[in-house]
Amino acid sequence: MNLFSQTIQYAVSGITGGSIYAVIGICWSLVYLISKVLNFASGEFVMLGGMLTWAFHRAGLNLAASGILATASTTFMAVLLERVTIRPVRRPSEMTFMMITIAAASVIKGVVLLTWGSETRSLDPFFGNQVIHFLGATITSQVLCVLGLLAAVTLGLSLFLNRTLFGKALRASAVNQTGARLMGIDPSSFRLFCFGLAGALGAVTGITITPITFTGYEVGMLLGLKGLVAAIVGGWTIGGTVIAAVALGLLEGFGAGFISAGLKDVFALLAMIIFLIGMERWTYHRR
Amino acid sequence: MNISLRSAVWFLIGITILTTPLVTGSYVIGVMCFVAVFGAIAVSMGVLLEQAGLFSLAHPTWFGLGAYVSAILAVRGIAPPWLGSIIGAIFVACSSFIIGAPLLRLRGYYLACATFGLLLVVEIGLSQMGSLTGGHEGLMGIPPLSIAGFTFETDLHYYYLAWALCLGCLWFLHNMMRSRIGRAIKAFSDSEPAASSMGINVARYRLKVFVLTAVMASLAGSLYTFYLRFTQPGIFGFPLLVELTTMLIIGGGRTLYGPLLGAFVVLWMRELLHLYLGMILPRMTAEVDSIFFGILIIVILIFMPGGLAGWVDRIFGLRRKAIERVGG
Amino acid sequence: MSASVADGPLLEVEGLSKHFGGIKAVQEVTFGMEKGSIVSMIGPNGAGKSTFINVVSGLYEPNAGNVRLLGEDIGGIPAHAVAAKGLGRTFQLEELFESLSVLENVMVGGHTRSRSGVFTCGFSRPSARREEKRLRDEAMTCLEEVDLTQRACSPISKLPLGERKLVGVARALAMKPKLLMLDEPAGGLAAHEVDQLIRLVYRLKSRGLTIFIVEHNMPFVMSLSERVVVLDEGKKIAEGTPDEVRNNKEVIKAYLGEEI
Repeated sequence: MNLFSQTIQYAVSGITGGSIYAVIGICWSLVYLISKVLNFASGEFVMLGGMLTWAFHRAGLNLAASGILATASTTFMAVLLERVTIRPVRRPSEMTFMMITIAAASVIKGVVLLTWGSETRSLDPFFGNQVIHFLGATITSQVLCVLGLLAAVTLGLSLFLNRTLFGKALRASAVNQTGARLMGIDPSSFRLFCFGLAGALGAVTGITITPITFTGYEVGMLLGLKGLVAAIVGGWTIGGTVIAAVALGLLEGFGAGFISAGLKDVFALLAMIIFLIGMERWTYHRR
Repeated sequence: MNISLRSAVWFLIGITILTTPLVTGSYVIGVMCFVAVFGAIAVSMGVLLEQAGLFSLAHPTWFGLGAYVSAILAVRGIAPPWLGSIIGAIFVACSSFIIGAPLLRLRGYYLACATFGLLLVVEIGLSQMGSLTGGHEGLMGIPPLSIAGFTFETDLHYYYLAWALCLGCLWFLHNMMRSRIGRAIKAFSDSEPAASSMGINVARYRLKVFVLTAVMASLAGSLYTFYLRFTQPGIFGFPLLVELTTMLIIGGGRTLYGPLLGAFVVLWMRELLHLYLGMILPRMTAEVDSIFFGILIIVILIFMPGGLAGWVDRIFGLRRKAIERVGG
Repeated sequence: MSASVADGPLLEVEGLSKHFGGIKAVQEVTFGMEKGSIVSMIGPNGAGKSTFINVVSGLYEPNAGNVRLLGEDIGGIPAHAVAAKGLGRTFQLEELFESLSVLENVMVGGHTRSRSGVFTCGFSRPSARREEKRLRDEAMTCLEEVDLTQRACSPISKLPLGERKLVGVARALAMKPKLLMLDEPAGGLAAHEVDQLIRLVYRLKSRGLTIFIVEHNMPFVMSLSERVVVLDEGKKIAEGTPDEVRNNKEVIKAYLGEEI
């Protein structure tokens, strides 16, 4: 492969990764904006989507049914998380919620490890092994699924939040909880909804990415963290998150390709640290 | 709690620590040695997180760096363990200073995220630098610590050394928190504008606390690695963070000694867990421990946010109220 | 202290401006304060009075203008450095340290007048312990000044508003400041508490302290101040004795919105 097609290949893999981070980042935003909870289990939802689908599939169900069941289970798990660990907290604070969700993520990870072991698992690509060639790079059908997922999620959410009454009520509640309450909106059920939605979206994302990057009890943490980076850099908006996520993905793709594959995750983490410090400096100088 | 009661309790604790090895075997001594090491780290982390309000999740990193620097120097014969530990502490002091200066401008969950990133970056870095650090498998065959001709070899030696370190750190931090430095720390964590207006250079103090607690963790790390005679990147990553957080939450961060109590509870709980569940479950790794610690963290955060020490203090707090009314 | 510094005004503010994005909070404010005087700043809500104190005390950076304390330029230096130069202040919302007791709050005021470092304190050196005792005694003296010694060991959460305000003043006094700036000290106080505060300010003035007060409470301001500065929408619209200001047309217009 010449340098140009290599670059395109890395870009493709970067954009694929970025699309995943984008949806995960949206999951973070949904929950954070509505309830100020930093849900560190976001990454685990993604992992569960892939793992549960593999488990159901291995138990005999076909791919589609496994996927649906896995998504439903993960959504249920997310809802359970909100009801059992978030709602009962007496003295809510951002840090408390953060520690609780980190703890919950540990529990989920550990249970998955115990149940299914530490090997990585995979799924067959949805549409087989067809590839298309673009500018010298190979794009698998699964990559197109990922891109399709991103498009569907972004479009669907935008329509939902801007065009439906429920979506608008959700946005209102995110901006001003007290005002929303006065209008008869119950913020706690909205939070539940957002958790559930994040669970569902995360699971679907996990299922879609598994044929490409495989899954295992460990994948949740880094995926979740990169989604968080995208959400923070993107200012917790849908558009911003997508742009930030794709940029992050590209950075990672090129870094892993041209510099070192083993340090792939380091690029994202360093990017996050540098961005956070840079953002702080920028706001400081407007004091 | 009035002064003489507190002194009596500390005296009792001191006697218990001194005499425990005489009545128990090397298993208990070993666990209690870990209690001291992790207690020291947890207590310093408690000062950082609770007293100073700095949500740095990178504390395990300093523990790991102290361990690795002194281990590498010892294994390659560049510096004997005691010197390696000092060099490790200096290395950590410099790194935490350099990294802390820009990083500590961040507040709240931004700092938590950035330091979490740092934790992972260093862990990955340690695994990747195979030629230097032994990569994923870590370093083995690390020589034991020896000072002035005396070699620390048995569990008992390290037990006393570890407790000396732990209680030393506790004593130092206790003095510090009761002085103008401690007041300045609590002041800026309560109200930065007011603290600044009282002449406290908040940025400088935040950095001082960060570096000081990092060095304490580093010394604990060096001791730990010479005790175990091996080291691995996996020890210093996310599972350790969960464990330390559990200690902080169980023990309660409002008091200085809370995390030490938390370390005691968590480590013994882990032993019991391994003992009983090891028979049922195929493997008891750190991730499996995390299941129980995670559940514990959640339960305590919901029902007993002040932790065990908070509960203890509340009982003795009744006495404090009486004194206030009479004397204050 | 050189003769020239001792003779000049204690505080000089020249053309001080501060804006936040489009909002011009303070616009080209100029005035001075002599040593030992009591000057008040009044103005309608949102006039920029608290912003003014925050800029002078160093919490905000000015966008334009100069501030000089005893002839020394303090514009743009951070709050902790301004405090070290002798400026003590209170806050409108008290901003007390909730995890410290009353006495400990006041002892924090003594921070700039003590020097024990991390290691001196950590190892409990005799010099640290001596300094600690001195700080404690000085803090008790400040509490005596505001008549709160009986609350020394009390946690902050137990105090009613009036006492919280007094703790704030005692804390600023512990700095032994050259200039004391009070941000709405009488806010929310009952009549007898305001009287107590007035008596306190007089006592402090008689000890030679220079005092600057931002306040809404008119009787408080008028009875205490030698001079009054009036701010409206960030601009100084009047300055003079209480009587002069009371009868000033611009001031009346600013408060009541029309000419009388």
